[in-house]
Amino acid sequence: MKMSLAQRVLLSWIFTLIFLIMLVLKLDSKIHWNWFLIFLPVWTFDAILILMLIVKMAGRCKPDFDPRDGDESVKRRLWYLAALLLKLAFCLTLCSRLEKHTDVLVSVVCVPLWLMLGGALLELGHSVFCYRRD
Amino acid sequence: MLFSLRELVQWLGFATFELFLHLLALLVFSMLVALQADLPSPKLSWWLVFVPLFAADGLSTYFTTIVSIRLYEKEKRLAVLRLLWVLTVLCLKLVCEVLLCQKLAEQDQARDLWFGLIVSPLFILLQLLMIRACRVN
Repeated sequence: MKMSLAQRVLLSWIFTLIFLIMLVLKLDSKIHWNWFLIFLPVWTFDAILILMLIVKMAGRCKPDFDPRDGDESVKRRLWYLAALLLKLAFCLTLCSRLEKHTDVLVSVVCVPLWLMLGGALLELGHSVFCYRRD
Repeated sequence: MLFSLRELVQWLGFATFELFLHLLALLVFSMLVALQADLPSPKLSWWLVFVPLFAADGLSTYFTTIVSIRLYEKEKRLAVLRLLWVLTVLCLKLVCEVLLCQKLAEQDQARDLWFGLIVSPLFILLQLLMIRACRVN
């Protein structure tokens, strides 16, 4: 079952909106919730994405799967999974830092984010330059 | 991941190269934020930290103008619509960035500037993106 573009947009839109509202309320000191609770829409959204990715990757184990059309997409999906885990690691360390559970440098907190952005830049740059070469 | 690159380009209305530019600006910006937070003294100015984002907005406006001028010769309606959409998105983004930068740079003088006000352009942008997604779909 493939979700339509509107459904996928709606899914990301709702979670972004709820997260932004909670973030604004926290920053304006209207609510005094834990930072981990403020990031709840992010955790939920990431969990849904990881679940969807795992289900898609598990589809390879079906007996009628054709291995010819799966090689490229497996690498891609593994990269997506790594990117999601890096984002999750960044959000977790950021929340711990904001809650003062740890006293690590902000540079250390940002390392997973930089890795994720670097990977995304490589992928995007590759598609930009491949298109130009074509 | 959730969207293919083609869907993202259709939905957001930006070219792939512009997306690349904004992502690069975000990476440099996050590095400068980390530097600003970790350096004991002298601290970097917040206006300097936000320079990559402002530069990406400026470059994106430049590219969009060039593309729209070229497109205008073939498809007038499409060129005007594209220019209007990208300028609206970039304006909303820029307003949010400037307000956030002012809040961070002048925390004592900008007490009345609450975060709900700073993020309000993003709320407008979210509504616009939702409407555009329905049209693209």
